[in-house]
Amino acid sequence: MKGFVAAFFYSVLNLVLVLLVAPLFDGITRKVTAVVQSRKGPPITQSYIDLMKLLIKEDIEVGDSPVMQRFSALLSLAAILSVALLIPMGASAPLAGYADSILLIYLLTLAGTSVLLAGLAAGSPYSLIGMSREMMAMMTLEPLIAIAIIMAATHAASLRLDAVFGGAGYPGTHTPWSGILILGVIAFALQAFVGRMPFDVTEAETEIMEGPLMEYSGPKLALFKYARMAKMFVYTALFIALFVPRISTGFYLTDLLVFLAEQAVLMLVVTLIAATHARYRIDQVVRYYIILFILALLALLLAVLGS
Amino acid sequence: MYLLSKIRETILCLKAGRVTLPYPVNPRPVPERFRGRPLFHPDKCIGCAGCANNCPAREILIADQCQEMRVVMYLGRRCTYCGRCADLCPEKAITMSHEYENATPKIADIRQDLEIWMGTCQRCGRCFKNAGPLDQLMMKGYRFDDLSAELWVYRSRAYLDKEPVVKDIDIELG
Amino acid sequence: MGSRDILNKIRESYGASITRADIPADNRLLLFINRDSVKPLAGYLFRDLDARYCAGIGMDDRPYSGDFLVSHDFAFDRENVLASLIVPVPASDPKIPSISEVVPAASWSEREMRDLVGIMVEGCPNPKRLVLPDGWPEGNHPLRKDVPWNYVPEDFDDRKTYPFDDPPPGTTVVPFGPFHPTLDEPAHFRLYVEGEFVRGCEYRGFMVHRGIEKLADSVMTYNEIPMLAERICGICGCVHAVTYAQAVEQAAAVKPTPRSEFIRTLMLEIERLHSHALWVGLAAHILGFDTLFMQSFRIREPIMWLAEKITGNRKTYALCLIGGVRWDITPDLRAEIRRVLDRIEKEWKGVFDAVKGDRNIMARSKGIGLTDKQLVKDFSLLGPIARAAGVDIDARRDHPYAAYDKVEFNVVTQEGGDVWARIVVRVLEVFESIRIIRQCLEKMPEGPILAEPAAELPAGRIGTSSVEAPRGEAHHFVVTGEENRPRRWRVRAPTYQNLQAIPAMIKDQRLADMTISLGSIDPCFSCTDRMEIVDIRTGEMRVWSREELQAGTTTITRRRS
Repeated sequence: MKGFVAAFFYSVLNLVLVLLVAPLFDGITRKVTAVVQSRKGPPITQSYIDLMKLLIKEDIEVGDSPVMQRFSALLSLAAILSVALLIPMGASAPLAGYADSILLIYLLTLAGTSVLLAGLAAGSPYSLIGMSREMMAMMTLEPLIAIAIIMAATHAASLRLDAVFGGAGYPGTHTPWSGILILGVIAFALQAFVGRMPFDVTEAETEIMEGPLMEYSGPKLALFKYARMAKMFVYTALFIALFVPRISTGFYLTDLLVFLAEQAVLMLVVTLIAATHARYRIDQVVRYYIILFILALLALLLAVLGS
Repeated sequence: MYLLSKIRETILCLKAGRVTLPYPVNPRPVPERFRGRPLFHPDKCIGCAGCANNCPAREILIADQCQEMRVVMYLGRRCTYCGRCADLCPEKAITMSHEYENATPKIADIRQDLEIWMGTCQRCGRCFKNAGPLDQLMMKGYRFDDLSAELWVYRSRAYLDKEPVVKDIDIELG
Repeated sequence: MGSRDILNKIRESYGASITRADIPADNRLLLFINRDSVKPLAGYLFRDLDARYCAGIGMDDRPYSGDFLVSHDFAFDRENVLASLIVPVPASDPKIPSISEVVPAASWSEREMRDLVGIMVEGCPNPKRLVLPDGWPEGNHPLRKDVPWNYVPEDFDDRKTYPFDDPPPGTTVVPFGPFHPTLDEPAHFRLYVEGEFVRGCEYRGFMVHRGIEKLADSVMTYNEIPMLAERICGICGCVHAVTYAQAVEQAAAVKPTPRSEFIRTLMLEIERLHSHALWVGLAAHILGFDTLFMQSFRIREPIMWLAEKITGNRKTYALCLIGGVRWDITPDLRAEIRRVLDRIEKEWKGVFDAVKGDRNIMARSKGIGLTDKQLVKDFSLLGPIARAAGVDIDARRDHPYAAYDKVEFNVVTQEGGDVWARIVVRVLEVFESIRIIRQCLEKMPEGPILAEPAAELPAGRIGTSSVEAPRGEAHHFVVTGEENRPRRWRVRAPTYQNLQAIPAMIKDQRLADMTISLGSIDPCFSCTDRMEIVDIRTGEMRVWSREELQAGTTTITRRRS
């Protein structure tokens, strides 16, 4: 019973953390981008205001499948928040005793498919083009994070979440070649996971008019935007959980602050790379992912062989 | 080399600093020659209609109410702020001000009406001082633009006409 | 070789076809020919004498000579001659053979002649409407002298649609425009897409046709038209005003003052600076590189402030009058111009050094939007597009006007013919423009800035002028007239020619590269179609009329309270 209460308490804490802090991180991203572009930029709280503005607008539905549109909007945020419950943020993962890494991989993939559903439900030519791009990208990108988790599980010889996280990417005794390799792969792919330049092919504004999200406005768009901000938070958290050794001071608050600081650094790097790059085309992007995929498989092989 | 150009670009951006201006919180002054809203000074106007003849947008209307009274109406709706009226005015009665924040929900705010007391020329009833062969529509005499409908009418006569004007592009010389 | 030599050369082969020849100046040639010889003579000029096609003009001259007039303008770039083939077309039988077969660049001009003046062009390969909206009644041609300038036809048919071609088999239709984030102005490209590749396209434009030419010959006067001309384009306004003024000056033999010619040159180059900086930013934005977009605009802003100091406005300079200009360059302004130029040069050099090794941008622009020399010749492509394909043409050097014969500059060319080559050409042209402005400041003579004509301009004279706009050569054709206004004024903007090559440029390219290919010609449409619904699954198409649109917007959206 005590375990259940603790799990419930930390789950709520994680959710609140994601919901509160993700728009703040987005605001910092926009501010840093603005500094690079020699302008003042919006205030840091702008993302909160944007979400609020969208939520109070009229909920208009267009097209043949309004139910699917509603569902995909809700699914996108819900899936990411579910992932947040499985990642340690300052403490151990809230649902570590109730879930394992396979569920984590499933939920990550589910979050990715919500954009596909959104594009299909809208049905306009540009959203279908965007959806087919997203599908191509997903098929080559999602396996990378799955391989990273499985590799960590191989090292830890367990699928339990608290075994996989906490730096299990590096086995204890000798030089962790597989760990370093997979760290490199995921580092190079982080930009793509959070959907930022040069890999924001699916939301290419100038080419396909926002792609899958073209037909969404008002509260549904707020949910998609929130999901995107939460994605940045959750993926950086996942990266830290997998590859950064956990520093535990015993106090929840200091652990949390350290965690947030690590995230902020990661986010800064992502933002700087995004601000200084042009968007790649879908075929160039897929080629890039395939190379990373092959390297990831190599890392997995090394892990299985014990290195 | 690839990384080098990206680093060069970033340094370029950061060296420039922030260039956002605090307008509209702080006012933004304009240079001396700036062509803002034209201001018509009724005290200096002699009613020669040079401005109306040369406004490319045809936004200055002239109508003679009687022998002594000429109305000059600047509508300002399609005004392009080109400043030709100010160039041509022989009395410098039109100045291009520095006002550029001219948005208003009431069109009447932009309109300027001048009522000019005219002297009478014995020969033709009115006189127009030419600025050059290219600066005239060759309309001498009394003018009858349609003020209530805010329309230009290309018609002038040597005498005052009480009939309502119906046709357009019908220039009568003298 | 001047116009006299060219006339003699043509006389050798086609002497019998020429009814009259006028040589108003050493660089102009007016050939009056009869109808039947227009196609062979046009082919001879285009292929054998290697002339470039400028524009085709249709004119209603019935009140004056009793005929319609068609003029096909050609440019001899190596010999500095602008030639016009003028064909009188009898009013009772307004037909003329098409020259599009031998001169592909003429196809749009001929369609426009048919739409606006009603001269039937026989053998025109694409006899669909170009300029007039679909609902405009047949047989009603707005540029004819008997149609009033404010005519609104009662029988305008709202439900009429544009007869698009069938898509090639295996492709789906993707509508690009009229609303699209990349396009600043509405235009409709009907793309036939197979997978991610574009197999063909059809263009329907002229949605922002504003009837400028009709206004100029019915309502406005000579000195008012430059104010209208500079609003033809949202970026290159000065170009059109100067070209018009020069065409009228050439027609009426008015010589502008030497100082005003230098001032015109200076303002034209300032316009080129800001236009190229804007384009680099726009291209970067299309590629998703917003940082370069912001930086280009930051570097460009002092040029706009400079233009405002000199002329009173950032873009609409209101500069030209017949015979000169309105704004003078004072010594303070001279110093200011030098300061701004030094700063721009330094910063632009920084941009060039950073961008020229950037493989990220190159990956998105090399090999995209390819043009080759044959395409440039056939469609008479102009400006940076031609120069990026290795074709060395520039109206500033080939047909010198204003003060360009007194300054030295290089014409920048690249081989490659793709978007990357165009980026490089435009970036390097900025440095050349800075060089020209500096020379203008040094060489500008003292004196008046306006030479007012002493008498009214003679009527019935033909004048042409070509000016190098940032996008290519702009060409104007003017016939002077009575009542202080021209009888005909034809504007041919550079994008008019460049757009005709888009279907060839984007064929077999990816859909994602469509926008940057289109953006690389620096389109300035300054051109409303109705909404078209394409059902991708069944391939069925329906066009909504205005009533259906208005009704549809209220029923198709279900409100959730």
